Amino acid sequence: MAWVSKTVKKLAALADRLLPESRSIRVAWLASLLLSVALLLLPWIFKLDGKPHADWQQFLGRFHPLAVHLPVGLLVLVPLLEIVGHFRPALREAAGFVLGLAFACCLGALALGFLLAFGGGSAGAVVNHHMWGGIWLSIAVLLCLLARPWWISGATSRVYPAMLTGVFFLLTWTAHQGGSLTHGSSYLTEYMPAPLKRWVAPGSVKADAQNSVSFYAKHINPILDANCVTCHGEDETKGGLRLDSYESLMKGGKDGPVIVPGSADKSVLLQRVTLPPGHKQFMPAEGKPPLKPEEIAWLSAWVQQGASPTATTLAGVSIREEQPELPPQPVGDYSGLMAEISTMEAGQGAKLVPVSRKPSDGLILNTVDVAPSFTDAQLAGFQKFAPYIVEANLARTAVTNASFDTLAKFTHLRALHLEGTGVTGDGLQKLGSLSQLTYLNLSGTKVTTSAAAQIEKMKSLRHVYLYNTPAQPAPTEVAAKADARNTQ
Amino acid sequence: MKQHPLCTDTEDGPSVLDLPIPAGLKQEWMALENRRRFLGRAGKVLGWAAMASLLGDRGMSGDARAADKPNGYGLPSSDDLKLPHFAPKAKRAIYLFMSGAPPQIDLWDYKPNLAALFDKDLPDSVRGGQQLTGMTAGQARFPIAPSHWAFKRYGKTGTWVSDLLPNTARLVDDLTIIKTLNTDAINHEPAIMLINTGNMNPGKPCLGSWLSYGLGSMNDNLPTFMVLQTKVNPKENNQPLSSRLWSSGFLSSQYAGVGLRSGGDPVLYLTDPNGVDREVRRKMLDAVEQINRQTYEELGDPETNARIAQYEMAYRMQTSVPELADLSKEPKSTWDLYGPDAKEPGTFAYNCLMARRMAERGVRLTQVYKRGWDVHGNVTGVLPILCQETDRGCYALVTDLKQRGLLDDTLVIWGGEFGRTVYSQGGLTMENYGRDHHPRCFTVWMTGGGVRTGITYGETDEYSYNVAKDPVTVRDFNATVLHCLGIDHNKLTYKSQGLDQKLTGPVPANVVPGLLA
Repeated sequence: MAWVSKTVKKLAALADRLLPESRSIRVAWLASLLLSVALLLLPWIFKLDGKPHADWQQFLGRFHPLAVHLPVGLLVLVPLLEIVGHFRPALREAAGFVLGLAFACCLGALALGFLLAFGGGSAGAVVNHHMWGGIWLSIAVLLCLLARPWWISGATSRVYPAMLTGVFFLLTWTAHQGGSLTHGSSYLTEYMPAPLKRWVAPGSVKADAQNSVSFYAKHINPILDANCVTCHGEDETKGGLRLDSYESLMKGGKDGPVIVPGSADKSVLLQRVTLPPGHKQFMPAEGKPPLKPEEIAWLSAWVQQGASPTATTLAGVSIREEQPELPPQPVGDYSGLMAEISTMEAGQGAKLVPVSRKPSDGLILNTVDVAPSFTDAQLAGFQKFAPYIVEANLARTAVTNASFDTLAKFTHLRALHLEGTGVTGDGLQKLGSLSQLTYLNLSGTKVTTSAAAQIEKMKSLRHVYLYNTPAQPAPTEVAAKADARNTQ
Repeated sequence: MKQHPLCTDTEDGPSVLDLPIPAGLKQEWMALENRRRFLGRAGKVLGWAAMASLLGDRGMSGDARAADKPNGYGLPSSDDLKLPHFAPKAKRAIYLFMSGAPPQIDLWDYKPNLAALFDKDLPDSVRGGQQLTGMTAGQARFPIAPSHWAFKRYGKTGTWVSDLLPNTARLVDDLTIIKTLNTDAINHEPAIMLINTGNMNPGKPCLGSWLSYGLGSMNDNLPTFMVLQTKVNPKENNQPLSSRLWSSGFLSSQYAGVGLRSGGDPVLYLTDPNGVDREVRRKMLDAVEQINRQTYEELGDPETNARIAQYEMAYRMQTSVPELADLSKEPKSTWDLYGPDAKEPGTFAYNCLMARRMAERGVRLTQVYKRGWDVHGNVTGVLPILCQETDRGCYALVTDLKQRGLLDDTLVIWGGEFGRTVYSQGGLTMENYGRDHHPRCFTVWMTGGGVRTGITYGETDEYSYNVAKDPVTVRDFNATVLHCLGIDHNKLTYKSQGLDQKLTGPVPANVVPGLLA
């Protein structure tokens, strides 16, 4: 007992030396210390266990994304006021108040955020980062609040500015984690130019799936990635199950393994994806689209044949090697060119029609009104708008093989209709440079077999139509190709 | 000049300050006029400005939007509406409408267990106190009539299809079969109005008119929305069709469907009479337009402009329709596919071929009507005829669209206005039976752009009487169709009779995600 009282006395003496004289300030420090400890203990008391709790918690918690922007704004304002306050002292006085207000808002937002995560059963690395960011940010703001009087009185000149800078960076990081939770971690980098992306996140460009040859990496992982990982991944780990790597997939979740190598019927994962879609336990949950039949077939075959991480082929499954279809690349904003486009349309009769009200969806070149008189020269006239044209409908126009030179410059073209035109396919290979082109219709033309062979080399193409041409494949060949594509 | 005392023009007339009132009141008036009035007004102006910007560019203008935005004819166009709302999967649609209601039990909804229940009474619990039509409400009993035809499994999906549809059955891997469509109406006219216009009462625009209003035309030389009727077969029980089904309702009549005749000239008086050449016709139309424009200046009725637009369309159709209907350049493979019927104008197969040609030429919606499915009696006598008339056309159309690369962005729909009962109307024998109207479940199929193909959606109970799983209301169905065409059904509205009218009506409707690709 004597040992305890001695320690307490020692601590008190230490506090005496460190803390300022005034009693009220001492109380403030002590209260802050207690509050900080309480904040730090919060996640240990109410563990984020990945299970949803009370509804009222979620109800209040869902105001977190709204409330959180208030402290963010205020905290950005504080350093601004401090700096401008150098020239206009009244503003510096205001900074103290804003800082206090920011702290109060921080606590509010933190409380709502915690309710959201705890009540909604969120768990995972990013949730954790965001939570700890919020807690440390609140503590740091509190410390700033305490350190500011020293700085105002001139006792120290560096501590407060340094801490404020720290707060600013911590704020940025925490906010980014929050953003990643709402929008997904690739939100900022998704449309980043490739060179910049390589520099920012070298790993993210062209995932390993391309290089790896195992069936798991090439076919199983992408299925899980596209359908499951939003809830069973790094950012969110529902039921303690992660499906983003081979190891975690085999490890299973809280209730044990989900894959039984060699037995698709006993594997919980396959049981859950093959339930009737209305079933309570059906996966993917929450009305997300069910797995496609061929995806289930591949999963099932892979599990049945041992769920190997390295096997490159499976007996009875052959999948046509195809480059994954690229997501459509958004085009630039053409709204500024509307006047020019109208003039062009009035002169040519052909129209540039928006795909949708979103300019980034691009324009369709529609020639149906003037098809018989639309020639290569007219097409060349539209070259100016090429970067915005995603589909060119030249069916039954008077264009010829010469059009391929112009069309090769339509870099964003996804669909090209040339049915019923006079093209014979000479020069078709020029379209090979169109990386977005997935649809090519040459029905009812005189395209020759040798010209059509060029099409095989265009990797981005998914839908090619050669009906009623010299190059039309025999019906049996079509069926064989379709079989190869759909595999079973 | 002496002003009248009540004159409110304060510039030169007497103001409040000239009135014989106490000076204190006058001072208060001035203060109000100068400060409070200003602040009050300024505040209101700011408030309205903020509200106007919050409500978007159309929020404050209400009905006036159509008349305020002249675009040649003073009618709102797709440019003004800024549609599609999102990039559509389908640019156009073909709707094969089986008027009269095909019996789902004999075609698509396979119920093998019913064979054992032949002539047993339908349990009352299944009917659940439902009010029946006047045609069977008086029946003493409701004997179960199993389908007379066998079913087989087809395609990789192993979907069961009746022997009556051997050709359509070959498409199953490409079809989206919905077994659980259900409607609120039990009689033809209200039901067919409901599924076409979203309302049982006439006066509302139909699907095609909404599409044509919302998405506009892809081909200036042809109507955006066209209707093809199949020639009547007198052996069948034909319910009448009226132009209400392709009417534009409260939308400008410019958006109404244009029907082609099923026999003779597709459009009457399309060719110029002897002695009238193209130039004379043009001059006459220009003169008529001038007169119409004067009428519009005078009365401001947008229907006048719709009339001008229709005259112009008719003029262009004089050249575009003969080209459309000229089948002489179709290759032999077309006739092999559609069959010999397709050479005779007005048959279902011919209309299917025309629908494909319209799709090629950018018609937004082609609706092909086939009547005669109202099989109240003699099912075994009439149904094979109906299927024989339509089966090959359906198969040929989908196959043709697919091989020509058009199915990627064309939505094809096959269906009627309701289903038919499992119990027999009138006498049930081993050889024959009849089926009454049944609104609680019926089967339709779709294929093409935007829908998930190779699936069967929804399940019915063992009597094909009630929906067991995943019901699809007519509203949800229409919302889904609009979705495939890039339209948010809640946003394509038109203010009429104090309501933001839409195809799906005021009752909430939902796009069915399970049907989408």
